[in-house]
Amino acid sequence: MVDRVSVRYRPYVDRKPTLRRSLASLRSRATTEVVALDDVSFRVEKGEAFGIVGRNGAGKSTLLRVMARTLRPNEGRVVVNGRASTLLQLGVGFNPELSGRRNVYLGGLASGLRRAEIDQVFDDVVEFAGLGEAIDRPVKTYSSGMFSRLAFSVSMHLDPDIILLDEVLAVGDAEFRKKGIQTMRQLLERSGTIVFVSHALPQVVDFCSRAMWLDAGRVRLIGPSADVVEAYQGSLR
Amino acid sequence: MATASHRQSVISRALDYLRDLARRREFALALGTGNLKARNANTGLGILWWVLNPLLLGAVYYLVFGVIFPGRRPDNFLVYLLSGMFVFHFTSQSMTGGANSIISNAKLLANLRFPRLILPISALIEAASGFLVSLGLLVSIAVITGQASITHRILYLPVVIGVHLLFNLGLGAMTARLAVPFRDINNLIPYINRIWLYLSPIIWPLSFLDDAEPWVRTAIRLNPMYDFIGLYRSALLGSPIIADHVIGAVAAALVVGFLGIGLFVKYEGHMVRYL
Repeated sequence: MVDRVSVRYRPYVDRKPTLRRSLASLRSRATTEVVALDDVSFRVEKGEAFGIVGRNGAGKSTLLRVMARTLRPNEGRVVVNGRASTLLQLGVGFNPELSGRRNVYLGGLASGLRRAEIDQVFDDVVEFAGLGEAIDRPVKTYSSGMFSRLAFSVSMHLDPDIILLDEVLAVGDAEFRKKGIQTMRQLLERSGTIVFVSHALPQVVDFCSRAMWLDAGRVRLIGPSADVVEAYQGSLR
Repeated sequence: MATASHRQSVISRALDYLRDLARRREFALALGTGNLKARNANTGLGILWWVLNPLLLGAVYYLVFGVIFPGRRPDNFLVYLLSGMFVFHFTSQSMTGGANSIISNAKLLANLRFPRLILPISALIEAASGFLVSLGLLVSIAVITGQASITHRILYLPVVIGVHLLFNLGLGAMTARLAVPFRDINNLIPYINRIWLYLSPIIWPLSFLDDAEPWVRTAIRLNPMYDFIGLYRSALLGSPIIADHVIGAVAAALVVGFLGIGLFVKYEGHMVRYL
């Protein structure tokens, strides 16, 4: 069911055009283009954990956005088979003024669940996040740890086939991180797929079977995660 | 042959989009009502402010034009003014709400995949909830002050609201589309709204048109708010229905509605780039 093919794309992320810049560019067509991803191709198999490493600004987040299909590439295409849950940022769709309860529904609905489906997992979500009574308080009163736990818990209950993770395990306390990794392992056992962007290199080696090193928008290396991380670390020294 | 198959694909893509939208209707509703609740969570009167804003603005204009400079006003000036004010406020809220809907939900857009029209639709749901409450208030005021009587024409109200919704959605989608690359729009909208308010039959009586300059009369006749406000007054305040209003409102709703939605949908794949 999940056989993912990501083919080539070459998106340019340009500057926000204000009215003035648009008028200016009418005169001179030459606008500076930033190449965020340059002809990147790879393939992630079903049931695999795939890591992406690289310096800041290498295009990792852009790549995840293209894979989540929220950003249309200028060239190339992405093929995704299965229900992808994106965890590019935590707490997407949350409204801090509203209660945790309402936010569980908002976050779930935003990610494509139906209300009835959320009803079924609601208790588990609260239990997993360990929030208890606080679920009926406005989210703005939560500590950042509580917020992350709730947001992560919602994402883990979306029952996705594919998870795109962007550095999100860096938040929360050690115990919660352990719980998160456990949940992701369970997902892998159910032959789900995880694409994992992280600067925590040991975690990438430990968790992912294969990895890709992205450098200034280009693929430097794809291979077994230990080799890729070693080569990347070598370049940092 | 080629054109026919092209048209076919446009229609089938539009149907796909609609199906996608319908599947996410719970999300649109939750987002709209959630924003409504959140926006008012920190004010004492909460959701009432949605009604109080046009009501207080109406009261200010009533004070200026009904009391201080009375002049030639219709007998039912209070409900005349308020009906126009509420209808206009709904449209102007849809416009500002639409413009903000994309920008204030940048995080959602960047992270999740869903038909982007959900966002202007949720802004419309938010504005419409307040509007319905204000219509209830208007009818109560009309009955209590005896300035209008409820007739069978109130049965047309759902149709009028439906046409108005399409118009507002198109307008909201259009401003949303423009506000993404041109944030400057947000600074302009209040002034556009102000001029539009004065060109609509709200603070001046319809008899003003009789001795207005011909070009002023034409400008006002071309203003869709002239038609919408006229229709609401027929449905709620019992004045006769004028065919011109029906034609004007339906035409404006179809043109603005489909143009706005079309422009928005055509552009939505590029939005994330500008947020």
